[in-house]
Parts: sequence; C-alpha cells; structure tokens
Amino acid sequence: MLQIDHLTTADAKVSLDDVSFLFEAGNIYTILGRTGAGKTELLRALMGLNPLTDGEVKLDKENITKRPIRDRNMSLVYQQFINYPHLSVLDNVAFPLRRQGKKKAQAQALASTMLGTVGLGDFLHRRPSQLSGGQQQRVALARAMVKQSSILMLDEPLANLDYKLREQLREEFPRLVSDNEESVILYTTTEPREAMELGNTMIVMHDGKIIASGAPADLFANPPTKDTASVISDPPISFISGFVSNKTLYFGEGQIAPSDGLQLPPDGPVTIALRPNAIERGGDFSAKIGLSEFSGSQTIIHLDFAFGRAIMMVDGIEAFNSGDDLRISIQAEQMMLFAPDGRNITIRDNQDG
Amino acid sequence: MNKFYHTLKTIFLLGWSIFVVFPFLWALSTSFKDANAITSGATYIPWVDFEPSTQGWTSLFTTGSRGINIIGPFIDSAAVTLIASLVSLILGTLAAYGLSRFEYRLGFVKNADITFFFISQRIMPPIVLAIPFFLMLKELGALDTIFGLVLVYVALLLPIAVWVMTDFFAGIPKELDEMAMTDGCTPIGAFFRVILPNSVPGLVVAGMFCLIFGWNDFFFAFTLTFTETQLLPVSIVSLNSSVTPWWSLSAFALISVAPLALVAVVVERYMSRGTMSGAIR
Amino acid sequence: MAKIVLENLGHSYLPNPKGEHDFALKPVNLTWQDGKTYALLGPSGCGKTTMLNIISGLVPPSHGRLLFDDQDVTKVPTSARNIAQVFQFPVIYSTKTVRQNLAFPLECRGMAPAKIKQRVAEVATLLDLDYALDMPARKLSADQKQLISLGRGLVREDVSAILLDEPLTVIDPQMKFMLRRKLREINRQTGMTMILVTHDQSEAMSFADEIVVMKDGLLQQSGTPEELFSRPQNDFVGYFIGSPPMNMITLEPNLGLLCTAALNLTKPLPLESNATVYQMGIRPEHIVMAAKETNSIGMGKIIKIEHLGVDGIVTLELPTGVVIKAKTRKHTEMNVGNTMGISVCDEDALLYIDGTLSSSSR
Repeated sequence: MLQIDHLTTADAKVSLDDVSFLFEAGNIYTILGRTGAGKTELLRALMGLNPLTDGEVKLDKENITKRPIRDRNMSLVYQQFINYPHLSVLDNVAFPLRRQGKKKAQAQALASTMLGTVGLGDFLHRRPSQLSGGQQQRVALARAMVKQSSILMLDEPLANLDYKLREQLREEFPRLVSDNEESVILYTTTEPREAMELGNTMIVMHDGKIIASGAPADLFANPPTKDTASVISDPPISFISGFVSNKTLYFGEGQIAPSDGLQLPPDGPVTIALRPNAIERGGDFSAKIGLSEFSGSQTIIHLDFAFGRAIMMVDGIEAFNSGDDLRISIQAEQMMLFAPDGRNITIRDNQDG
Repeated sequence: MNKFYHTLKTIFLLGWSIFVVFPFLWALSTSFKDANAITSGATYIPWVDFEPSTQGWTSLFTTGSRGINIIGPFIDSAAVTLIASLVSLILGTLAAYGLSRFEYRLGFVKNADITFFFISQRIMPPIVLAIPFFLMLKELGALDTIFGLVLVYVALLLPIAVWVMTDFFAGIPKELDEMAMTDGCTPIGAFFRVILPNSVPGLVVAGMFCLIFGWNDFFFAFTLTFTETQLLPVSIVSLNSSVTPWWSLSAFALISVAPLALVAVVVERYMSRGTMSGAIR
Repeated sequence: MAKIVLENLGHSYLPNPKGEHDFALKPVNLTWQDGKTYALLGPSGCGKTTMLNIISGLVPPSHGRLLFDDQDVTKVPTSARNIAQVFQFPVIYSTKTVRQNLAFPLECRGMAPAKIKQRVAEVATLLDLDYALDMPARKLSADQKQLISLGRGLVREDVSAILLDEPLTVIDPQMKFMLRRKLREINRQTGMTMILVTHDQSEAMSFADEIVVMKDGLLQQSGTPEELFSRPQNDFVGYFIGSPPMNMITLEPNLGLLCTAALNLTKPLPLESNATVYQMGIRPEHIVMAAKETNSIGMGKIIKIEHLGVDGIVTLELPTGVVIKAKTRKHTEMNVGNTMGISVCDEDALLYIDGTLSSSSR
C-alpha cells in the first residue's frame, strides 16, 4: 500500500500541486494525462528523484519521504529504452539482484527466468544495443520486475515503439507483469485507449493535479469535470456552449426539452459535451462536412455547425464530400452537460446506478 | 564516373600520406648521417648518397663532451607525465561527474562558472604562472624534484581532464545513474558500477590529451628544474653547441615521439574494435 | 506540384546485390497523382524510409528511375527537387519569431520583402497561426511547432510535394486528431501532394487517399484505405491494417469444401490447388454478436472485454478453443462468461491460400 499526501514540487517546467492518493497493492493504476500534465513528475517524486517542497510518501504506513532512492524498494521503466550498455542482457537483469546481495549464480538464474517470461530467453548474452527497440524495452521491464519491488512504475513505456509492437505488448502486458501481482503498478500514458485497456483504476492528471480517478468504464461514462472528459476522450469530445432557460436547453439554433432522457439543470449557461456517439444521421440540424476520414469499418466525420465543431462516426465506409451539408440529430441521452466551473451536471432520467 | 572518383580519392590520400610521413622519413634518414653528409648539400639514399653512421644514436646514450645520456631524462619524463596524467584523470573525472550531475551554488557561482574556472587556468600565458610556481615550489622545497613537477603538471592538466569529461558525462543520459540508484546503488556506487564502465571513450580522449600536453611541455620543465631532475625536452637543449648536431637532434626527436606514437596505435586499435562505439544510444 | 512515378525503382546498399534479400527496397512500380495524399506504411526496417529518402534525393537509387511530371529526376540533387520535408521532431529556429521562421526560406532565395510579407501572411492564415506571428516560435506547443515546420515548406511557391516523416509521433492523441485534419485541409486548399511515412496504421488510414504497405523492403499492397481494410491481399496486410488485427481461422479441406469445426462457414475448395494452408480471414469489425442464436454461424464464450471508450473489444473462445476478437459498441451490455451467437456476412469472410488472398474472394 502506498499513500501520498499533499505532494508538491517546484520544478521549472511542470510541478506537482498538492497531490494526494492511496494506492492499493495488487492493483494496476494507469495515469492518464497530456504531455506536461505532471505524470512523469509524480513517478519521479515517488522514486525520490525529484525533490519535494511539501508532502509525504508512505509505504505500508511507514514514512519514506526522506529515504534514499536505493532503499525505496521501487522500480521504474523509462519511456526511452534505458539499459546498462556495458552489460549483457542477462547481467542487466541480474544487476539489481546483485545489489541486493544475491550470489552471482542465483541472481543470474532468477534473471534468466524473468527474461524467459518477457520472451527474451534466446538473447541472454547479447548487448542491449544489439536488440530492437521492443526487445530493449522488454529488458528494461524484466530488470524492473525481477526485484519484486512493492512499487513498479512504468513511464509511457510503449510511447517510442511502433504501432503494431505497441498493440502486441499491450496485449501481453497483463501476463508480463503477473509476476509482480503483489505490487502497486503505476503506468502512465497519454493515450486514453491504453489507459482504459490496461488499468483496474484510471487516474487522470491535468496541470500537476489528480483531477479524477476510478474504474475506467465508469470514469468514461461519467467524467466528473470537463477537463476529465476532454483528457479521456479519443476521438476528441466536442464542447458547445449553450444555456438553459425555462426548462429548455438552447444551443445555436437548436433546443432540447427535458423529456429526452436528460434532466436539465437550473437556468443559466452550460457547456454541452458531445462524443461521436451522441450524433446520428438524419434529423433537425444542418451541419457542414469539414472532412471525412476512414477508420476501419467506420467513417469519422468532422462537422462544422453554425455554433461550433463536432465529430461523428458512421458505421461502414462511405464517401462524404467536404463542404456538403448533412442533416443530423443530437441524442440527448448521450449528451453530457457541464457547469461554467467545469463540474459535470448531467442527470439522466433513467439512472440505474 | 565512380571509378574516376575512386582514383582521384586514392591519389589525394596518397599525396596526403606522403605529406604527413615525410618529416619522419627526413628525421630518420638524418639521424643516420654524419656531419659531412649534412653540410655538403642534400643527400637522400643511404649507401649511395651517403655512408650511414650511428653517431646520432650513440651520442644519446653516452655522457661527456660527445653527447648526453637521455635514459635518465626519459625515465623522469615518463614518470612525471604518467603520474600527473593519472592524478589529473582521476581528480578530473570525479570533478566532472560532480559538475555534470549535481547542482552547486556558492553565492552567485554555479556549475557553469566552476567549469569555466577550471578552463580559465589555461587562458593565462605560461610565463605569468612561472614565477608564482617557482616561489611556491621553493617554499615547499620541491624545486628540481619529480614531485614538484607532478604538482605543477596536475595543475596544468586537470582543466583539460575536467573539460573533456564534463562534456562526455553530459552526453550520458542522467536516467542511467538514476536507474542504478533505483537498482540499489549509492550515488558513488552508480558512478563506479555504471557510469565509469561506459566512459572509456571519454577517458581515453582525456588521457591522450594529458599525455600529449604533459610529455611535450618544455617551459615549466625548463624553469622549475636545474640539475637533479631533467625532463626530455630540456635535456635536448644541452646538446646544442656551435655546430648544430642535426643527427643527434633527429634521433632524439624520433625517440621522444615514439611513446606517444605507440599510445596512438594502441588506442586506434582499441577504438576500431568497436567496443566503444554505440554504447550509449 | 507534380505527378510522381516510381519506375522499377529499387535500392540496395550493397554494390553488387546478388539476390532479393540484398535489397533494402525491392524494385517497385508506382504512380502517385498530383494533389492527393499518400502514406507509406510498415514496421521499422520495412524500407519506407529508404523510399522516402530516394524521393527526397538523399539516397540515389541503385535501380530504376524516378519521374516528377514525366521528367527523370533520378540523378537530380535534393536541393533542386523542390521537395519540402517535415520531420518527426519539429525543426524550428527557436530564437526567431513565427513570422521570421516562415519568412526564412524565402529570404534565403532572395525574394522581394513585399512579396515575402504577402506569402507569409497567406500561409499563416492557412495554418491558423495569424495571431501568433510575432510570438517567439519556441513558446508554441508541439503541434503548432510542427505546423511551422510545414509552413516553411508551404511558403515556397515551387514545392512539388511535401514529405512528412512520422510528423505526429510527438503529439498528444487529441491534438493529433486536429493536426491531421489541418493537414488534410491544407492538402485540399493548396492541392499539394503529400506523402506521409508512418508505422501507425490508423494514422495512415485516416490521412491518405492511398496507402502503400511495405514489409522487408517488399511492396505488400497499394490501394485505398477501404481496399486495404476490406480486401487485404495477404495475411500481413490483414494483420498490419486494423486494430485488433484480422482474425485468421484455419480451414480443413473436406469433401470438396473448406470448413472448420469452430464455425458453420465453408468455402469451396479451389480446384487444382496444392496449397498447404487454408485460412479464413474475418475482421473483428465484421463480427456481429447477439445474445440469441438466430441466424448465427456459431457460438463463442466471452473471455475478455476491453473497454476502449466508445468502442470495446470482445475476445471470444469458440468451442474448438480457437480465440477470435470482435469490435463492438455494445460491449457495455455484455459480460465475461456470456455465450454469444456469432454472425458474419459471407462476403466479409475472406479465403487465404498459403497467406495470399484467394482470387475467389477478391
């Protein structure tokens, strides 16, 4: 169990701003945020690599804020493929075990087993520089896991890999880390899909703060704030400003009455958030097609309204001409509403949980 | 087209090699000449143009009016250069590591200023340093000793080592040290176990510079020694008399170049084995 | 602007290539129309960068010819080819303002100041960077810097094509989406041919009018995104295009038919075939799941559901133990352990013979 209280750092570029959280052992936490959100800084602060100006780190109730890095029982996999260039793959993985005082033979035996798990059993005596990027990252992962440390941190480990290699490693990830199932696993990423696929719990960071956390599916369905909704939506979520007056929601030339599966907040300005599934073809609104893109079995259409921009998806492959008009409808039950301060104020009629 | 360029390249390289090798060949042939062969116009081919003589070489190993013994100065030079280079390399590497990895602040003085301070010692012309060095060594009773020279040479070579190594460490990702520490090393342990083994190319370059500057220094060797200790570049001066002994000078030049040439060959071999390249991404 | 033709173009880094494997790029014939968008797609080391370098002129090809508008430019140096390039990392002059960055290529060519001013203004409008013209370029975000890199190519009036070498790698996902749209809009408004090199199939699909898929220096398939998605020519394209990859189910010949115990789906056994491997390729997107068995061709037990936002990926185990994946938007209504009926349109089940799409499925 890892507890952090009010972590604050004062770095020149990105700094943590009063971050508190409780991480349970045996869980995989994905930390999602854009570049500069403070994800890497959080991991480095936990590790003791970045100095804290305030706050505490507690590991199993013991305060380790001042403990030197080497005694923290944590490991970290970097985004860049960092391995010891002068050591063979086997010695790279045996290195942390040797530092723990294990005998050479024992360390190498454990390292070799771990390398087998990550699929590098045939490369024990190569140098890291003789391996491909994906294999180098597997070495780094094996070295981080072999220690069986209580905290395993991965900082955008797949960001520098090819798309298909990333897909493959993501698929393998749960099996790869199964050896460390007693650990707290922290995994940062900028990709919402990756965060949702790999984490039991998803943590959303923005501007050096944790702005939301929870089960990925819940968080996706009910993001607590506008920033959260924006960070976890890919394809991007579209925001349109509107206002509620007299129990009717107005936006642009459109309006929606409360009966459409959505309860409206009190009168005042609101921000309407539309995911691609909130827009369907045929209906009352007229939109101009900005661009259509092909994505697998779907077509993604960028729409330009008189009152803003949005993205919709159409099943199947269809050619749309940019500049054409398209009639669309907006599904109130898929729509989300946010208050001017960013709070999610969506209330659905038939909320069953 | 391709072939033409290839030929052109070969011709150019050949010309360049002759240009580089020529002084050595000239020295080699001169070292086997006697006074006659040198003063009576240009001669080139041994046994045809001139009768080879070993006078130039023997004069370097005899004492008295006919020459000097350079074995003593050679050993002194080697000792001073090696010790001073080693000490500079060790101190310089440690200093450079500190400067590249930790932040120091003494008032307004920061890391960059400290690095500049080291290098600034080489800005002054040696003559400015000669008098203070002389007085300090005198105070220490270290004038005319190997120890005194080592002290002075360390002061001269350290900036080079710090400079080269700071630059080299800056190129090694910081993450490598961090990783060693997360893997259970102390900061010093990280340096010795991880950074140093990956710094061989930098150490070789810095070491080479130290050896070259140390071995070839004449000025301080001349001003800070008298009779007890004599370094190679100084001992040659005593050879000079009314008739310039070109044969001895040539032989001497070849002997004093030999150690550095040997080092260069070894280093070149080592570099071409490829153990040093591609270590760090 | 130009039509680009690759005529039997190949490259080997060895002086005397013996066999096929000596080629970094095996000879290929392609024609790229003026004003369209193209993507070179493949894993690292597939030869896509070699191809790009040949087009930009950095690498002279060892075989074949390269034509711009029917003119042989195979031996023309890079500087004379009128190619603009955008690289993986934004290349900007960080000490200059946006305006100075955009003006620089024109100043180098000695254009009149008034003309430069006009061109810079035009391009800034195109990039939506009017407001930032006098800001220092280093203050911009990564995607805006990438736009400036592109803008320095666009200001030149003589550019025949823009080469984009993985330009979206360092950009955050949501920003990628917007930058991609911007690139397409610029392509439409200027009619400039754009060639994108990428390893990311989704990027290639949404960006390009036509995609060239490569592997080990060999062209695998060239076609529109639709063609690559619905009719991959071989198992590699099926794997590389689409995420998750195409499901491949092994078929056994039986009484003149090819069938599998896993699904009630057959293909006629081709006559005079001495192939060894028959497979059925089905896209995860083409698998329809229903709680009831009506119209289904088989049953599968859900062993994993991955929530990816609007979409989800459902992993199904068929009775024979074969595991397939399906992509759906109804994943929130399903649970692990459920047994689902599976149906697939006949035309979406493709027959692969020894890894190559059978002519009957084309």
